[in-house]
Amino acid sequence: MKEVFAMWKNTKMIVLVALTAAIYAAILIPFKAIPIIPGFTELRPGNMIPVAFGLFFGPAGAWGAAIGNTIGDLLGGTIGWGSAFGFVGNFMFAYVPYKLWDNLGILKQAELAPDCKSSKKVGLYVLVAIVASAACGLWIAWGVDLLGFVPFAALASIIPVNNAVASIILGLPVTLLLYPRIKKWDLYWKDVMPEEDLPKGGKTARLGAYLMVVFALVGIIGGLILAIGGGQAAFQFAGEAKLMSVMVVGGICSIGTLVAGIMQS
Amino acid sequence: MKLFMYLDVDSYLHKLDPRTKMLVVAYCMATALMFIIPAYQLVLLCCTLLYCALGKCLINVYRSRILYFSIFIVSFIMWTLVIRGDTKLFWFVTLEGVTKGLSAGLGLIVIVLSSLAFISTTKIEELSAGLLRIGLPYKGAFALSTAIRMVPMIVGTGYTILQAQKSRGLDVESGSIMTRLKKYIPLMVPAIVSTIRSTNVFAMALESKGFGYSDQRTDYIKLKFQTRDYVITIVMLLLFIASVFVKFYYKL
Repeated sequence: MKEVFAMWKNTKMIVLVALTAAIYAAILIPFKAIPIIPGFTELRPGNMIPVAFGLFFGPAGAWGAAIGNTIGDLLGGTIGWGSAFGFVGNFMFAYVPYKLWDNLGILKQAELAPDCKSSKKVGLYVLVAIVASAACGLWIAWGVDLLGFVPFAALASIIPVNNAVASIILGLPVTLLLYPRIKKWDLYWKDVMPEEDLPKGGKTARLGAYLMVVFALVGIIGGLILAIGGGQAAFQFAGEAKLMSVMVVGGICSIGTLVAGIMQS
Repeated sequence: MKLFMYLDVDSYLHKLDPRTKMLVVAYCMATALMFIIPAYQLVLLCCTLLYCALGKCLINVYRSRILYFSIFIVSFIMWTLVIRGDTKLFWFVTLEGVTKGLSAGLGLIVIVLSSLAFISTTKIEELSAGLLRIGLPYKGAFALSTAIRMVPMIVGTGYTILQAQKSRGLDVESGSIMTRLKKYIPLMVPAIVSTIRSTNVFAMALESKGFGYSDQRTDYIKLKFQTRDYVITIVMLLLFIASVFVKFYYKL
């Protein structure tokens, strides 16, 4: 996770944070008018940005997604306490992909470029997009339920689906089209950041990547099962928030995704 | 679509320190949904509208009325249908559900109106300066304010590309939602590319002006709390303490 903070020393990475945030917000804001749960989530084709830009710009993409979502809330008139968890959730939405891409061990060191030109890379893209969508949904659903605004099951079912659909159907072609240009302009994050600030990888990082997948999927699926068992309903606004079992599982798994991220330094 | 809500007029709110206005938004967020008493939210809503009037930004409230109305209606209906209680009104709708629905709907509008008043009366430079003064690192504040400034430019570029492609016969209005979204990809890519292409020049321009050279920065905007800021800050803090006291002492 060292690179997440070290990137703020690099001017080009800071510019990439600003541009990612601006692009993300620019696509999110027009769709604020189509709410799914008013004030909390809406139709979001802009969700194609975090996964793709996370793979291109690494930590700059993650900060950009977090800031862009906050700007979308601010300018779209939906800022609230939930925006704090939206910040963390969207950070994870772009952070998880580049971490898993490098550390799951599916690709060899020489073929890590996220150009999605082989079926193996497309498969990995789909996997990281699903896990990232789950991690984002887990943080937001858990946080908003913790605040007592919306039951866990409602957002934990809507957000991952909303995120995964846009990031796979729209994000994959965008990744294919943009990566050659990003590489040509020397904007791929591993080309921008100095060698000493890049994550080192290794066995601990591999274990961290596996744990990140486990925490994200167990948190969202396990939390949903417990929430539905406790009277909440998926894809709708039913039941009381703050079920203790959901809070515990959601909380442990949310924090677990961050710890797994630290292991991948 | 008008993305920047800022209104360049002379009003009481425009003269307030951005930190004071942030405190008002935080107060509204903290207390708007604290009680399930619609009369409380109604009073808070009237106060928030008065606050907007002080900032001469009721025109922005009027422009966004459909969004706020839909937030209220959907929120009201959902909570009304979900919350069960002992006092049945008709079918499975209960008084407790209606009360919660009205409170939640009105409370959400209070929150979004307070943030609307903030963005209608605060320039981006003031927002950035305010964030710096409450402790946000300079580079983070810079990224945030730069991104906000660039949003209308990107939307404008996208709109120009859309019009150019429409004039060449592109039909983006037919088909299912997914089909229509897919048609937007070839339109979004040039807008994204044209934005990202400026990264290297942008970074060079910043570094040539000494960006990040020193942590000891001088500011163009000097923020200073005036008497009115102190008054509003004290009133907000007192109201917050009173709300928390009522909430826990009377268990409302």
